[in-house]
Amino acid sequence: MTTHDDTASGARDGAGRGTVNRRSFLAAAGAAATTTALAGCIGGGSDTPTLNVITWEHYARDDVVEAVESAVDVNLEITKSTSSADMFSGWQSGQDEQYDIAVPNNNYVPRFAEAGLVEPAPLDDLDNYPNIYEKFQEFTDGQLSVDGTPYGVPIRFGFYGYGYDSRDVPEHEESWSVLFEGVDGVDLNGKVALYDNHFKAMTAAALHLGYNDAFEGDRITLSESQLEKVKSVLVDQKQSLLSSYIAGDASFVKGIKKGDFHVGHSGRMNLTNMWIDGNDWVEMATPKEGSMSWFEAAVVSKQTDHSDLAWEVIDEYIAPESGATLAREGHAPSVNPQTSEHLSERRNELYGSIDPSRLDGMIPFKAVENEDAWRSVWEEVKTA
Amino acid sequence: MAGADADANGTRTPESGALQRIFGSRRTRLAALLAPSGGLLVALLLAPLSFMVALSFARIGDAYEIIWEPSAANYAALFDGTPFWTTPFFQSLTLSIGVAAATTLVCLVTAFPVAYALARRERGRRIVLFLVLLPFFTMYLVRVYSWYLLFGEGGVLNDLAALLGVGPVGAFDFGIPAIVVGLAHAQFPYMLLTLYAGIDAVDFELVEAARDLGASRVAVFRDVLWPLTLPNVVAGSLFVFVPAFGAFVAPQFLSGSTVLMVGQLIAGRVESYNIASASAAATFVVVLVAVAFGVAVRYARLGASAGGEQ
Amino acid sequence: MAATTRGRLLSYALTGWTAVVLAFLWVPLVFIVALSVAENASTLFPFEGLTLAHYRATLADEELLRSVANSFSIATLAAAAATAVGVPGSVALVRYDFPLSGAFRVAVVLPMVVPGVVLGIGLLIYLRTVLDVTPGFVPTVLTHAVYGLPFVVLLVSARLAAFDESLEEAARDLGASPLEAFRDVTLPAVAPAVAAGFLFAWIRSFEEFVRAYFVSGTTDVLTTTMYAMLAYGTAPRLNVIATLVLLVLAVVLAVAMNVGDVVGAVTAGE
Repeated sequence: MTTHDDTASGARDGAGRGTVNRRSFLAAAGAAATTTALAGCIGGGSDTPTLNVITWEHYARDDVVEAVESAVDVNLEITKSTSSADMFSGWQSGQDEQYDIAVPNNNYVPRFAEAGLVEPAPLDDLDNYPNIYEKFQEFTDGQLSVDGTPYGVPIRFGFYGYGYDSRDVPEHEESWSVLFEGVDGVDLNGKVALYDNHFKAMTAAALHLGYNDAFEGDRITLSESQLEKVKSVLVDQKQSLLSSYIAGDASFVKGIKKGDFHVGHSGRMNLTNMWIDGNDWVEMATPKEGSMSWFEAAVVSKQTDHSDLAWEVIDEYIAPESGATLAREGHAPSVNPQTSEHLSERRNELYGSIDPSRLDGMIPFKAVENEDAWRSVWEEVKTA
Repeated sequence: MAGADADANGTRTPESGALQRIFGSRRTRLAALLAPSGGLLVALLLAPLSFMVALSFARIGDAYEIIWEPSAANYAALFDGTPFWTTPFFQSLTLSIGVAAATTLVCLVTAFPVAYALARRERGRRIVLFLVLLPFFTMYLVRVYSWYLLFGEGGVLNDLAALLGVGPVGAFDFGIPAIVVGLAHAQFPYMLLTLYAGIDAVDFELVEAARDLGASRVAVFRDVLWPLTLPNVVAGSLFVFVPAFGAFVAPQFLSGSTVLMVGQLIAGRVESYNIASASAAATFVVVLVAVAFGVAVRYARLGASAGGEQ
Repeated sequence: MAATTRGRLLSYALTGWTAVVLAFLWVPLVFIVALSVAENASTLFPFEGLTLAHYRATLADEELLRSVANSFSIATLAAAAATAVGVPGSVALVRYDFPLSGAFRVAVVLPMVVPGVVLGIGLLIYLRTVLDVTPGFVPTVLTHAVYGLPFVVLLVSARLAAFDESLEEAARDLGASPLEAFRDVTLPAVAPAVAAGFLFAWIRSFEEFVRAYFVSGTTDVLTTTMYAMLAYGTAPRLNVIATLVLLVLAVVLAVAMNVGDVVGAVTAGE
């Protein structure tokens, strides 16, 4: 069954980072060590402090920046990233001194905390935090915490499934297995795309194999033999159905339009965008094993000089109005249900309003136990 | 050349204070000439490479800190497979060598006749060189992007093939042929310019003489032209092979990410902050390249027309 | 008779082959230029009409233009630095016999042969861990200066080696100091090579991606911005920027080839 339901997704853990920030040229030309201080002076021209944020592209849209800047007395310098892994390795290589806030995917928050890069989240001080879905408050206490201390605050979320070209692929029972075994009666050899991301591709394979238990608890755990199985499923798929591993949203849209593939691993956000552009032939599938769901969580650098302000900004990202603006720009729902009051009916129908029962059925992204083993498996798949 | 300035304290005319002190003796003059470039190379090339080598013997702790306990474990892990050639590192290494060799061969075969024509003909030489150099100066990322749009099952090349009533053509899909085309396009001018410099320096009266004595074209090529230009062939090949070997952008875009060349493998390990194992892989690669370079240097005149993709 | 016919055929074949190769080199460029004015900016089929909308959008994109300005400054400073240190280094290589000159010669060429991924990553970790320097503008300039150094040294030292040193000797016999003799006699003679070296270093820096990707930190350069555009799929502006860069470089190269005999300097390396 095909459903245009209330899911949304962002799939941006792609191949790399792109920094397209608005830091002034003068600041950049200054000695690197003093850029943060300089940006403070040049950015505002007043006493308004400047916060540097590394995050996804939608946060850099003018409407979102203006919404936050008008609510909190602050200048925002947004650097666009395309990968949580890059955010982490960047901060671990010293960018924690340059940025005040990062918004990685939830599964990277424990990493930031364990590396000692970020400060605990003062949840009690955040006005909007008590209003977010209870489910996400549970996540904060669970997978976003290390040793009982929470380090991140959820902002937006969405679901992963796969999109398909209904001109080539008939309606079918929607399952992750379609990505690995195809659809009966349709030749999908070389016509399926998976994300070029060890985490997304391997979790899809694990759900296809029925390893739902692995997703209980605060970390995803696959045993060694399960990892072996995941690997062989991915290698088999690569040698038969796979068209390409896609780097991100743009590659999905481009590839399915070009006809490079007919079925592609995707978040709902891509499909919403395509529908708005009039491509009604593309359908979103919601696999019966459960949709993987992502969410973003904001963290604050230990090195920041503006800790309170940084948390104020994060609080604003989940405020009813600014949160709705962010949802509108990215076609992805906010974790704060009050945002739906500020979205049109059409937008609520497309992505804004989420039935809480859907949240119970979702399988959230989580940090992975034994990340290195996952990475090795992925390298082996890529070189197979 | 050496000893041209061998007059120790070779000031022949009185010079003013500081300059005289600096350029007064041969030794201080040499030091002043070498210090800037030497300093830059030591600080930003040799030091980082040395540090990378050191890091390849360390490991990364649970809190992502560097733990300096010397061990060769990172190197052992590169080949820790049964059998050893099944490891991702070894696989990506052999793939990179294969792709780089194919790229070099394509460049050599396509560039040699053009270089010959350029060297032998005055007419149109400047315009041809201009037409060769301009694409070469265009941004590499853009050219890769362009090939990305041209290749692929639904790419423009296949669209054209469809207009002509053939295809889809498998070779126009993303994959290793597309990578080789993209890399060959990027590296071609290095090969061409190096070959051109070599052929241009050949004394063609020798060639004419051999022809007059009845030698066939093939024989002349084999016995005269090829041996005389061999050093340039080696140099040109090196300047194509090495960057292609370390390529990182082209394989990502032009294979649909279905392959992993060694540059991608290293970058992936850095992205996941496995910087110690990345350093081991990178050190291994640098040593391989250095050996190839050392061998080539013995044969090649490393001419001016040199460079690298990345 | 048969021999000349064959000679003529061979000559035609060479011309034909050159044309084919040139076409191959130009296919991607023509394609990009065409896309920069095409309504549908990612493919020519089906062709949907011409537009200047992508140009307007590009010229209104302040962030993109700022990254162009950054790349321009970085390339200029890096090429200037490479030339400033590379010319004396070339003189040392050609005119002096010193211990480790072989090692120096190899070290100068090394930036060209160490894969960019390796050097970029090595530099990033080294800057952070050892020097405690944050990636950014200055590290990118210095990294690109090292990258441009081989072009300067190879071109300038080749020209220096071909230069008749007795001219400089003569000037000194006439009373010029070594510095004056170099400035007034040798430098003008090698100036085309210096200019070519600068130009090469400049272009290499301007289009360099992998090293900048690692060491540019929060400073946007054109190539990292382009990479992000590819990832986010906002490619129409990429076609436009590439076209504009191509036009500017075509003019610069044409001038350089006519005034400075760059090609001579580039190819007369032996």
